[in-house]
Amino acid sequence: MSAEMDFELATPKDASEAVALMQANPGACYIAGGTDLVANLRRGIGAPPMLIALDGIAEMQTIAEDGTHLVIGASVTLARLMAEGLPKRFAAMSALAEVAGPGLREAATIGGNLCLDTRCIFYNQSKWWRKANGYCLKLDGDTCHVAPKGKRCHAAFSGDVAPALLVLGAEVQVVGSGGARWMPLSDLYREDGLDHLTLGAGELLVAVRIPLAAAALHSGYAKSRLRKAVDFPLAGVAVALDCKDGRIADLRVAVTGTNPRPILFDHFPDAIGQEPTGAVLDAITREIGKDITPMRTTNMPGMYRRQMAGVLVKRLITRLCAGQGAKG
Amino acid sequence: MSAPVTQVGVGDRVPLVDGIEKVRGVAKYTADLAAEGALVGRILRSPYSHAELLDVDISKAEALPGVIAVITGKDAPIPYGIVPIAQNEYPLAQEKVRYRGEPIAAVAAVDEATAEAALDLIELTVRELPGYYNAAASRAADAVLLHDNKPGNIERDVHSTFGDVEVGFAEADLVAEDVFHCEEVTHAHMEPHAAIAEYDPQRDHLTFHSVTQVPYYVHLMLAQCMDMNKSRIRVIKPFVGGGFGARTETLNFELVCGILARAAKGRVRMVLTREETFLTHRGRPAADITLKLGLSKTGRITAVKAEMEQYGGAYGGYGIVTILYAGALLNALYDIPAVQYDGYRVYTNTPPCGAMRGHGTVDMRHAFDTMLNRMARQLGLDPIEVRRANLLKAPTETLNGLQVTSYGLPETLDWVEQASGWKDRKGKMPKGRGLGIGCSHFVSGAAKPVQWTGQPDAVVNLKLDFDGGITILTGAADIGQGSSTVVAQIVAEVMGLDHSRLRVISNDSALTPRDMGSYSSRVTYMVGNATLDAAEKLKARLIRAAAKALETEPENIECAGETYRVANSQDQGIPFDKVVQTALIDHGAITERGTFTVPKSFQGGKHRGGAVGSTMGFSYASQVVEVSVDEETGEITVEKVWVSHDCGYPINPLAVEGQVQGAIWMGMGQAMMEETRFHEGLPLHANFLDYSFPTIMDSPDIEVHIVESMDPNGPFGAKEASEGGLAGFLPALAEAVSEAIGCDINDMPLTPDRILDALTKQRRAEKRRKAKA
Repeated sequence: MSAEMDFELATPKDASEAVALMQANPGACYIAGGTDLVANLRRGIGAPPMLIALDGIAEMQTIAEDGTHLVIGASVTLARLMAEGLPKRFAAMSALAEVAGPGLREAATIGGNLCLDTRCIFYNQSKWWRKANGYCLKLDGDTCHVAPKGKRCHAAFSGDVAPALLVLGAEVQVVGSGGARWMPLSDLYREDGLDHLTLGAGELLVAVRIPLAAAALHSGYAKSRLRKAVDFPLAGVAVALDCKDGRIADLRVAVTGTNPRPILFDHFPDAIGQEPTGAVLDAITREIGKDITPMRTTNMPGMYRRQMAGVLVKRLITRLCAGQGAKG
Repeated sequence: MSAPVTQVGVGDRVPLVDGIEKVRGVAKYTADLAAEGALVGRILRSPYSHAELLDVDISKAEALPGVIAVITGKDAPIPYGIVPIAQNEYPLAQEKVRYRGEPIAAVAAVDEATAEAALDLIELTVRELPGYYNAAASRAADAVLLHDNKPGNIERDVHSTFGDVEVGFAEADLVAEDVFHCEEVTHAHMEPHAAIAEYDPQRDHLTFHSVTQVPYYVHLMLAQCMDMNKSRIRVIKPFVGGGFGARTETLNFELVCGILARAAKGRVRMVLTREETFLTHRGRPAADITLKLGLSKTGRITAVKAEMEQYGGAYGGYGIVTILYAGALLNALYDIPAVQYDGYRVYTNTPPCGAMRGHGTVDMRHAFDTMLNRMARQLGLDPIEVRRANLLKAPTETLNGLQVTSYGLPETLDWVEQASGWKDRKGKMPKGRGLGIGCSHFVSGAAKPVQWTGQPDAVVNLKLDFDGGITILTGAADIGQGSSTVVAQIVAEVMGLDHSRLRVISNDSALTPRDMGSYSSRVTYMVGNATLDAAEKLKARLIRAAAKALETEPENIECAGETYRVANSQDQGIPFDKVVQTALIDHGAITERGTFTVPKSFQGGKHRGGAVGSTMGFSYASQVVEVSVDEETGEITVEKVWVSHDCGYPINPLAVEGQVQGAIWMGMGQAMMEETRFHEGLPLHANFLDYSFPTIMDSPDIEVHIVESMDPNGPFGAKEASEGGLAGFLPALAEAVSEAIGCDINDMPLTPDRILDALTKQRRAEKRRKAKA
């Protein structure tokens, strides 16, 4: 954690300038709140010759409504979103308050949280440590210490906000050399701990939008962790659903902390129209369990994290169907 | 005109005298000190768990521009260690490395980047040996020895029997035996390790700032390892951000920093990373405990047989003392007629363990009080009544020669029983909720220091000069626990003076008298008594001066705050400043010296190792812990803790409460979430994210009650307040969880996955039982 950082700091004034800088400087890195990136850089994870600071880009700092969506600039801090009352409008956005602690949320941004690097106990270590361990597949090595026989990186995505936005049907705006485009948030991710973001070379996530209609859903976020603050999720679950006469409708579930990407599950044909009985909840959990594959990327066992994903899914659906708390 | 006297003496809730600087963020810790022109010191650490070091080639590193000095084991050929008979550690590795992270070489360079680059240029040639990460692996018949002179990889085995254990078990109505495992934990003090060494090559003098709890040991070990006369060394302790025992021993980086500064002929600043701070360790070792206990049907303890195996890490360190403590303090809490103890301190290829809050006693106390709770359940007895059936009666001497002169355990039990509503609630908690009790104790200073000198245990100087201010010069290291505040309060009390006249200077070997430092909760007791002695002498001197000025005899003088006057007279008296002026005539500045020496009769039994555990005063604590447990997630919520601590007399109740709460917190961390984990000897926990200790969000309401047993020898009756309350938390939590979920768990910490595993095992066992029936 001591390696002196030697880099050029660029401060673009708009997104296209940032993208141009990125493309002109191979190996450069965007920096927003820096709460995750700086900790990694100080461990010698990456040594970018240039950091491109996003905090001077005004368009990424705005919060606005366009009639159908709430549009949030990627550089808006988590603390500001909490202060703006986002969790009151979209209950799943209570995930904001579950990120780290108050100090970090003052600096951490929503874009940064969505683009959080994947984490692993064999990766988030000092250079001395990783070298002594023969490095790893994700950085400088060719073995995954989590599953040494495989050739896949199992580092887990551990952002709290992504699953909440996934179940709310959020989209993200990406700016590249070809201009700006919107895409579903789920398309931002792929199941590869080594390269979990689908962003192309130089592309920058500039905004997130949540459909205003999502405010009508019952939604929530629940997180498993050892301590009641600071920790990343061992498993984090967001659920959004509609509930008609005690029967499940329009169910969406997203899980974080278990796989290289946050996974959205929105296809539960057998559960729709059913009451959330034990058997129905078991079936939902089984369905999710097919894709949830927590590995030994944290100090807590993968089996426990898998169990927690299931427990939290059941609890959230039950709570939301019971109509506890207002819609949103 | 003299300032109005707002005396705050003993018994007052005084905020810590150095708290203002800390709260304002202006307190200077070692890494904050201006170190103009200092070179950056960095350590090359072993990437191997266990290897013969065939060659350390530093030629390329030395040739790098900006590198001023590179040192290796050849520059550090003298071993060191806290226990004089067991010094087997070197500042830099010699022929072997024994754990991943062990210092091998060090570089002083003009900046951080150059130092880092130089470390990368050092080439190691080694022959790797097998690494052993637990006691069983180290003790295997074919295991390679970590230290050639320690067969079986055992640093020390301890065997003692007091009373007739077999007769005791034969008399028991219930005998139980069980095996417990506690994971290794570490201090997690907030301030990472740091040192600044300034070597003056013209004078051959070394000035050294460090984060230590015991500047005196650092002074001794620097002199030893650098082969320098002690008079040429000056050690200063700035503000220190916590210790909890981690900084009692002199640590390798301190010696490396000193040696490096001499090699570089200048000033070297060494600030360790959090990871390096974890690698330096000295925490509480993992332990396997086999405990056998006999109880009569009334709950009387008839015999105890305990075996403990500690995974001690790669070097001796405090090991002998830790393994002895675990056995010695089986005694002095309850009245036990027969005790057998067998302890094994085992070497492993992990960072060396050492002293940590509740040194040596915590894991054994967990096993003992947990067994007591379970056996009470089996016998249908109230666990509090079981403890009442086994109380000591002070003054007394234990089987192993420990002196108990004050004993507030009964009162602590009474309070937690009443405050928690124990009688009405225990055993009747709703499903998922539970109450548990644990008791514990600790020494108020080790009666016999590991370094025997024949000097007093504590010396305090009070300097009074023309300005009328009193400077308290003490070597007691305030590491956040409040020792400077305690000495100031004692002087204020005795002198009848306002705090504004007092100034505490602690820990500069050039100014302050030698002190044994802050460990084993010795400071309030020993340094407090020395302060009391010094203050009384100074007061007597001022009374003599006042008598002279008022032309009367000293016994006629009475003091009312800052006024000295003739008692029972119309005399207006003279103010303090005038008394001081009179006292200085023909004499000049006054330095009054107070001392404290522990009498030999308190230094423990005659048996080998009998000094460990001996003290002049034991603190006692009881606590009741209430929990709720979520059976689906395995998560424990501590709802409330009632803790009652017998600290003899609270010189500063505010500080006592803070220390007791801190002990509960630390016990809670060990019981619920803290553990070091290694991947083939590499730490998987070496940061504050992966080494989980409780946050404020995890903290329950902790209600602290103080019992005043008025120790006959403590200053104003005081005993220790910061360690005794820790150990009882573990068994209290285990018992509360057991009531909540209906199953007993023998391992610590009780992390949610362990709770779920236990519940799964229990369900399977029930199924099997039903299938059979």
